[in-house]
Amino acid sequence: MAHAALAPRQHTFYRSRPRLLLIEPAEPWNLLLRRVAETRDRAAFGLLFAHFAPRIKSYLMRLGVPAQQAEDLAQDAMLTMWRKAALFDPNRASASTWIFTIARNLQIDAIRRHRRRQFDAGDPSLARSPEPGAESGLEMQQSERALRQAMRVLPPDQNEIIMQFFFSDKPHSQIASELDIPLGTVKSRLRLAIARLRAAMGEAP
Amino acid sequence: MTVTHHPDELLLLGHAAGRLEEATTLIVAAHLNFCDRCRSDVAGLVHAGGVLLDDIAPVALADDALARTLARLDAVDAPPALPVSRDNTPAPLRAWMGRDLSDVRWRRMGPRLGYVNLMRRGPVALRLLRGAPGSDTGRHGHRGVEYTLVLRGGFTDETGSYGPGDFQIATPDTRHNPVADAGEDCINLAVTTGRLIFDGLVGRVAGRVFGF
Repeated sequence: MAHAALAPRQHTFYRSRPRLLLIEPAEPWNLLLRRVAETRDRAAFGLLFAHFAPRIKSYLMRLGVPAQQAEDLAQDAMLTMWRKAALFDPNRASASTWIFTIARNLQIDAIRRHRRRQFDAGDPSLARSPEPGAESGLEMQQSERALRQAMRVLPPDQNEIIMQFFFSDKPHSQIASELDIPLGTVKSRLRLAIARLRAAMGEAP
Repeated sequence: MTVTHHPDELLLLGHAAGRLEEATTLIVAAHLNFCDRCRSDVAGLVHAGGVLLDDIAPVALADDALARTLARLDAVDAPPALPVSRDNTPAPLRAWMGRDLSDVRWRRMGPRLGYVNLMRRGPVALRLLRGAPGSDTGRHGHRGVEYTLVLRGGFTDETGSYGPGDFQIATPDTRHNPVADAGEDCINLAVTTGRLIFDGLVGRVAGRVFGF
């Protein structure tokens, strides 16, 4: 599956980025992840690290995480990937969505851990969570291909909102106002986008 | 149990992207504990974020980052699981508090109301609120936004009835007087991003005294 398919070219948000991955299919990452799981292959881990750690660091910095902390969290995400690699199922998710889920959950837990109470036993980032986790995400009856397809055919105005919220370096509160459309419109576009994603995942609306 | 009041789409997206501040991310996470629909919406958005991750411009790590991470691989062990909750306290809230709801020490606010200040950061406050059946907090408005998640029991105000898992969003335009429903005590988790404005002198003084 070509990464080019993900990017509606008509939009400047995408155009401004160097498109380093245009010629690389996603499958090699899946294979490397399988090798990590099956043979604890450190060379494969190194290749995954070289690709994903800098992207995770970039994602976290866009959320406002300081550079050093983003670096530490990116390394933690890679460690979690190493530990949980056996749970990765390439039929359900690509390596990048799976690894992103790990990084995102670590970030959520880091926000909470910021003011953890001393009597807090155990590490919630590693406890069973009712949230979509790396494992439960895989258990969902969803097809990665359908989701990619849905992202591809999402109208640019809906795609833009999702893209901005995930990967803009502006604070949450600024994004909605700088989209330069009324808040109600932002919400209704988002509602449509969620409905399409939900449909792609094979769930009733 | 059917959840009928949900966080809005921007809250779900902000949560999926890991962008909300601590108190708000906690109350949204606790809602997902009750609500299959929002949980699957967030799952879809998180996966969408993963699909988009390949397009992000990378930021280089320190030169020795890989070496240091490789050195840590052998030390990675399976984590201990948190013991099971005795009273179905939503997992994210329980992990954050480090205890069950039953073990919380309530502060009294009159004979029928109780509260626990969980966190205050700048204008944002996170609290547990508890009301005996039929009790009310007094009519009030809001300088900021107030998110309320019902954990136990229920309450009713001018905008409708809210039961376990329901998520109310009150804005500066909202004035309401929530009354706890009959039956068990109503226990809510609430986030406010500004002070509440109570009607009447007594309400105003009480609001100040208790830090609302």
